[in-house]
Amino acid sequence: MSKRQLAMVMDLNKCIGCQTCTVACKTQWTNRNGREYMYWNNVETYPGTGYPKNWMELGGGFDAAGDLQPGIIPNLEADYGVPWDYNYDALQGGASFEPNVEPTWGPNWDEDEGTGLFPQDNYFFYLPRICNHCTNPGCLSACPRDAIFKREQDGVVLVDLDRCQGYRYCIAGCPYKKIYFNPKISKSEKCILCFPRIEQGLPPACAQQCVGRIRFVGFLDDTEGQVHKLVNKYKVALGLRTDYGTQPNVYYVPPTESPAKFDANGKIIEGSTRLPIEELEKLFGTEVHQAIKTLKAEMKKRKETGESELMDILIAYQHSDMFRLDNNYYQQVAKESGRKPLALVDNRYVAGKFTKSGHEMNFFHGGHTGAVGGHH
Amino acid sequence: MKKLTSALLAVSVISSAVAADSAITAIKVNGNLDKVSYNYQVWNTAKFSTVTLYPQTTITFNDKKANEMNANNSAIKAEVAAIYNDSKIAFMIKWPDGTQSIQQGDKTDTYSDGFAVQFAGNYSNPKELPYIGMGSDGRPVVIHLQKESVKTYEPNGNGDVSHQVNRNQTNLFGKDLANFDKEVKRTGSGDYERSFVGEGFRSMTEIKDASNSSYSRIAYENKGWMGTLSRPLKDSYVNLDAAVIPVAFAVWDGDKLGRNGLKYLTAWTAVELQGKKGNKDLVAALHGNVEGDVAKGKEAVANNGCVGCHQVEATDAENLMGPSLTNIGGYSTADYIRESLVNPSAVVVPGYNRNAHSNYAWYNVENGKRVSTMTDFSWLEKADLDNMVAYLKTLKAEVK
Repeated sequence: MSKRQLAMVMDLNKCIGCQTCTVACKTQWTNRNGREYMYWNNVETYPGTGYPKNWMELGGGFDAAGDLQPGIIPNLEADYGVPWDYNYDALQGGASFEPNVEPTWGPNWDEDEGTGLFPQDNYFFYLPRICNHCTNPGCLSACPRDAIFKREQDGVVLVDLDRCQGYRYCIAGCPYKKIYFNPKISKSEKCILCFPRIEQGLPPACAQQCVGRIRFVGFLDDTEGQVHKLVNKYKVALGLRTDYGTQPNVYYVPPTESPAKFDANGKIIEGSTRLPIEELEKLFGTEVHQAIKTLKAEMKKRKETGESELMDILIAYQHSDMFRLDNNYYQQVAKESGRKPLALVDNRYVAGKFTKSGHEMNFFHGGHTGAVGGHH
Repeated sequence: MKKLTSALLAVSVISSAVAADSAITAIKVNGNLDKVSYNYQVWNTAKFSTVTLYPQTTITFNDKKANEMNANNSAIKAEVAAIYNDSKIAFMIKWPDGTQSIQQGDKTDTYSDGFAVQFAGNYSNPKELPYIGMGSDGRPVVIHLQKESVKTYEPNGNGDVSHQVNRNQTNLFGKDLANFDKEVKRTGSGDYERSFVGEGFRSMTEIKDASNSSYSRIAYENKGWMGTLSRPLKDSYVNLDAAVIPVAFAVWDGDKLGRNGLKYLTAWTAVELQGKKGNKDLVAALHGNVEGDVAKGKEAVANNGCVGCHQVEATDAENLMGPSLTNIGGYSTADYIRESLVNPSAVVVPGYNRNAHSNYAWYNVENGKRVSTMTDFSWLEKADLDNMVAYLKTLKAEVK
């Protein structure tokens, strides 16, 4: 376990599956050098095959006794999908529009299919996934070279590319299949929670670009922070498949609102809900019942009294409130380890346990770096 | 019936286990050995010896498919020769492999065939050689690894970021783009050859300070591989300028998803440098007969409860508490087995990440040193120890 843990909360009620996060991540990190097929961030339709295909059935993680479970390393063609492109240049010469590889599978091949019978009881929701930066990472435990480490300062799980020899036991060990093999450099690579951005006051690209404002980022021990409140105070944000035993640090507010079913005559079945609670229980554990209860109660309270801290948080009025990157803390860590702290790129998100003020919009009046303020 | 079986066992294995492969003779040559390849003429004068490589079963990895494919591996035989001159030593290993496997640059689940040669950092005491599985605490080894592979790109290599972008995202066209592709291709490293220093495989670290000038080649022909390595007799890590040196070999079968510990390996094998004078105790230590009564040793192993923590024979259940012993007779020396019995903490097998099997602590860390949780058997009678070592030396897969 690390000294502090940076975590993300995703509100599934608000995810519209627009893939902006996916594209933000891809253009930032994975569009080159053997990473083309990787989606460190992906948004899959649930129920569905997911990415890589049927990842929940590929093993990894720990059993109840704490033993790492064997897993399967997915195949590029069959399970991830080979990225393809089209011959735009050749079109000018009169060629027909052709993909460079025959597309046979890819992420979101079954997008929006979901399950059930339209229009009676079909349903689906979107499940955005990044590396869970687990407290007990399966990838780390599987590596026979000690090439994977969890950063002491914020719990970000990283691969030491110098030590990695491309054995791929980490991929078998990760139950979420969120660590990937780069065949071009023969090493494993994964989501880095955009740590170079975070250290400069920028939220992870996926979170900052999210148009639905579903993603909160902050330290779990920052009691003022929204992440802490959602996870620990209200307990409405839950880990995905915690039964894998890796203690994931990406939390999800489960989807609570789904339309009622229709009967054979197309009439609404009062009191019914399309989204079976069993599915949510499978993903988020039995705690999902209490989480949904709390969410509904707070929604009601908000309707009746106009007040609910939880609803205010989930509405996410201010982007700047959603990210608390505690810049003073990172500056302190840098100094303690003899590194030069990085200059801030943006100071709207720097608040945190050790960084009191933060979101005065200083760059409208010139101060790019000053005004971090409020030293601990 | 039980009596009869033990009587039969006693008769069949009187007093000694089968001796290991014999020592290898390195022939002294005059030619230049800086860049020796498999088609180098000088191999005609070399003397090839047979070595046996056993499947690594000490610890099991978490790759489900690979474990299924390698569940019943038999041992394989390889031909090995060595030559040396005043400054260099070269090895050649030829081993059978029905399929040529090369890790592909556009696949996520392919692996290469390859081989490695291991040298001991210190071999002055033949009874205390480094652990065969890539060394042990305080007993370093140097390993030269060569795998058949496509070009790989070193991300941390020379920090050339401009050529790490996707070609579609450059602002280059036509000739410039072709040049970009060429440069990317050029900066991809040509082959996989790597050298490591290690004190146990978790600690294995690539030697990148250019202090090491080895040259290794690999080629596939007639359903088999030929691998060569030439390196200095002496560098800052090992000194091979002696009458006898211990060397170990390993090969990987990419077709069976082999990599890392999923491999076949020899025991430490003595290589006699022809014409060099000096102590030759190592030959007897590595290739001499192991005195002891195998049947009585088997009984002693059963009576002392080894199976409580170890998988002893392949038919026993897997046991995560201690290293599996099913091939220990193949790739471990008698002295190593004896040392492990009387002083279990002398070499702690660098096994799983402690967190991978947290309930099976086969060592504790005390003052930064790994201390084995195994019972110390130094109180046993010498005869019992001899018998147990003789029995354990028989535990190995057969060659098919």
